[in-house]
Amino acid sequence: MFLNIGFGEFLAIFGAIAAVSVALYLLDRNRRKQVVSTLRFWVTPGLPSPVTRRRKIQQPISLLLQLLGMLLLLLAIAEIQFGGTARARRDHVLIIDTSAWMRAGAPGRPNATLMDLARANAISWLRAVPESDRVMLIRADALATPATNWETSHVTVARAILESAPGETAIDIGQSLEFARQLQKQAGSEGGEIVYDGPGRIATSEVDSAAVNVPILRYLQVPDVAENVGFRSVGARRSSAERDSWDVLVRVRNYGKVARAVSVTLNLSHAPVGMHPLTLAPGSEQETTFTVRTRAASLVEARIYPQDAFAADNYASLELPTQRILHVVVYTDSPDQWRPALGADPRVAAEFKRPGEYSPANDGLMILDHFRPQALPVGNTLWVDPSDRSPIGIKERVGEPSGLRWAADQALSAGLREHDLQIPTTSILETGGNDIKVAEVDRGTVVAARVSPDGKTKTIVMGFNPFSGSLKYELAAPLLLANELRWFAPDVFRDVDVTAQSAGSVTDTVNGTAADVKVITEAGTNLPFNIRDGKIQFFTGTAARVSVISSSLERVYSLTLPGMWDEKWTAPANIRRGIPAWNDAIRRSTELWPWLALLGAAVLLVEYLLYGREMSALLRVVRAHMEKAGSAAKAGDQAA
Amino acid sequence: MANAPLLDRKFLERLERLTVHWQKSFPGLVGGHNRSRLPGGGQEFLDHRHYLQGDDLRAVNWRAYMRLDKMFLKLFQVEPRVPIRMLLDVSESMASGDGTKFDFARKLAGALCYVGLVRLDTIEVLPFAEKLLESKACGGGRHRFTPLAQFLENLKSGGSTNFLKVAREFLNDFPQRGLVIVVSDFLDEGGCDKALQYLADYGNELMLIQLWSDDDRTPSWTGECDLIEAESGAKLHIHVDAEARARYTQEFDKFAATIRSVAMRNSGRYAGIPTSMPIDEAIFGKLMQSRSVA
Repeated sequence: MFLNIGFGEFLAIFGAIAAVSVALYLLDRNRRKQVVSTLRFWVTPGLPSPVTRRRKIQQPISLLLQLLGMLLLLLAIAEIQFGGTARARRDHVLIIDTSAWMRAGAPGRPNATLMDLARANAISWLRAVPESDRVMLIRADALATPATNWETSHVTVARAILESAPGETAIDIGQSLEFARQLQKQAGSEGGEIVYDGPGRIATSEVDSAAVNVPILRYLQVPDVAENVGFRSVGARRSSAERDSWDVLVRVRNYGKVARAVSVTLNLSHAPVGMHPLTLAPGSEQETTFTVRTRAASLVEARIYPQDAFAADNYASLELPTQRILHVVVYTDSPDQWRPALGADPRVAAEFKRPGEYSPANDGLMILDHFRPQALPVGNTLWVDPSDRSPIGIKERVGEPSGLRWAADQALSAGLREHDLQIPTTSILETGGNDIKVAEVDRGTVVAARVSPDGKTKTIVMGFNPFSGSLKYELAAPLLLANELRWFAPDVFRDVDVTAQSAGSVTDTVNGTAADVKVITEAGTNLPFNIRDGKIQFFTGTAARVSVISSSLERVYSLTLPGMWDEKWTAPANIRRGIPAWNDAIRRSTELWPWLALLGAAVLLVEYLLYGREMSALLRVVRAHMEKAGSAAKAGDQAA
Repeated sequence: MANAPLLDRKFLERLERLTVHWQKSFPGLVGGHNRSRLPGGGQEFLDHRHYLQGDDLRAVNWRAYMRLDKMFLKLFQVEPRVPIRMLLDVSESMASGDGTKFDFARKLAGALCYVGLVRLDTIEVLPFAEKLLESKACGGGRHRFTPLAQFLENLKSGGSTNFLKVAREFLNDFPQRGLVIVVSDFLDEGGCDKALQYLADYGNELMLIQLWSDDDRTPSWTGECDLIEAESGAKLHIHVDAEARARYTQEFDKFAATIRSVAMRNSGRYAGIPTSMPIDEAIFGKLMQSRSVA
């Protein structure tokens, strides 16, 4: 078959060329012009002049050589191929592994990485691909990214191969192979090989997806040594028991096949905090916890000793945020009623004062218990049974009200379900349209909240003291106070988790709906996410610091650890492997057109030398000498 | 090479041992290097003759007069200074084909002039085609060669050959007898033997140097050809085969023999030189064999 033109086109072109050639030959050969010094010896009187013949082909060999030469050149241009479509131009996809693991050192080569071996493999494979075949390079880590278009210029592909570098995430082989298969399908031409070039280290979740059905798959395996111990994740959470403390949880995995004894050290702001020795069985993970004390923002660094060939996961760092405290000033004559509730949370710094010590200055929260100050306080205020001069007016006072109801859709009443709470006496509030009704009885609202129009000041008025009488033994009392404190200062009471883990796809539990949750990067941009079945999922392809903020929890993901693998990919048995040999199917050993072109040129050169208008100097000299020798012999014979 | 000299230095040095020779005795003033059988004012005694009135009294043999009382005049042998004139064909036929004939002719003319200059001969180069063109005379030693070489290098080929007209012009312009060197392919449609005979009949000694290119003698092309004559532009449509080529060569050899016979029967010299022959081989081979130079 012909790759460039059809057989009919070939015949037509060759027929036209042959016709023109014969016509030119007849015209040219019969009209050879030769300037000579004299004609006298051609038309010597008394001698018969040379015969003038009719126009016909005088040198058939010359014409045949010309036609043969042109036929060969045309065959070269048409790129004739033997073997049908099996040897037609094909489209290959080269998937080069750019996962984080490719940073690991190459076995037996101190200064080389797995990426270097993969690049060398890719270049060797590219050399085996026929020049006419198109190649697309895909860099594959968690995402498969095309690095080139369909290129017939192998130099461009080679340049892209050499520019490929390890990323931060683990490879998703299944997704990459499927992507390559789709690309080949869309290209529309003869499908070539899909080549995976890498060590084939995948996550357990990919084992099934990696067995994608690819028609022609080649595996250029990069040899690696899996002896590696590294961090899987490092997380920090505020200690619930102790103010100013953080619990740092470190998970370490042994990826190798032999047990390893390592030491995990933790530094806080470059100062050593502790060192935990761990002995890890092959393929196992262990956790260890450190406790660090700091109120200020700090840098926590975890390291694994001794270092191994893959140093990227031997170090992890976390940035701990500042621990904020809510300053609460309570003006009450009964501080003992409030002290247990306010002292239970380390994030609350309570200060108890007598009403006589009143000052309107307020930098956090002010609680006014049965106290009506002359000068209204500034800032957030919790009024407890104020009787009169309350921000929210008092309608009446009632004893043992009935029909207690908690607002179901308010954060202030979250978790409050008790309807049989016995309130000795309470004030009924005159709430407005913008006030938040937290608790109501049959006679009216007993707990209400208000936010100033500018949103800066919050006020809650409670018609009763939750810590007086028998109420203090009820669970609803501290829960209500906790809700109120969280409502006043959500930033202070929001739990903060800081986690260092690998980039890529992150899945974690979350409370709330998509409307309540924000996922923002370090630069402040929103990151797309998805919440399904109480789990949030988002993706980053590069190392980043991402915060997931919900109503009650803020998680900071420091995605700086390299994405690691769980096991070795088991490639299908019937695939091609390694660099193609000289007789491999991918090579087109009968690439004929260069040879046809050379042969055609040689035939035309021979024709030119033998029958050309200007004979070569060499032939002329040879012929002159032969004729000279012949004439000398003839003269000798005549003399004899 | 455009700036290459006509003749290189080494070749000129080799030429310095040569002399242009002629056989005839020409009258002339002393100063040449070929002895003449005619008496003249030389140093070497040749003969006595009776004194005639008007003879130079200084040549009277006064001893013989004292002894015999008769006046005899002493005759001396002379080596006269003989003019050498070189007719150089610059017609279009000399440049036909690859132009090797014209270049070869200029080199050959330059070499012979250098030989003459070294021996203090006076040589006049006369280019010709249909008629005599502007000439260049040189003499007085080898240092006069450069202007001559430039003259030869500046020559252009062109025109058709007319030997008869040229011979007439030559005999009119140069009545003094001498050596006439003709460097040409002698391809004149009107024939050249008659004109050469004129030159010889007027007492000149002929040195005929015939040049031909390989294609002139043995054409390399075959098949049907339109042959175009370089000088006249006449065309001939013929088919050339091996037999025709052999016949052509045979005719050419006959023509060369005719030229040779003209030279020989007039006591001249002839040399036929193919242009494929190196110039030094032509000088030290063909021309020395013909005793044109020695």
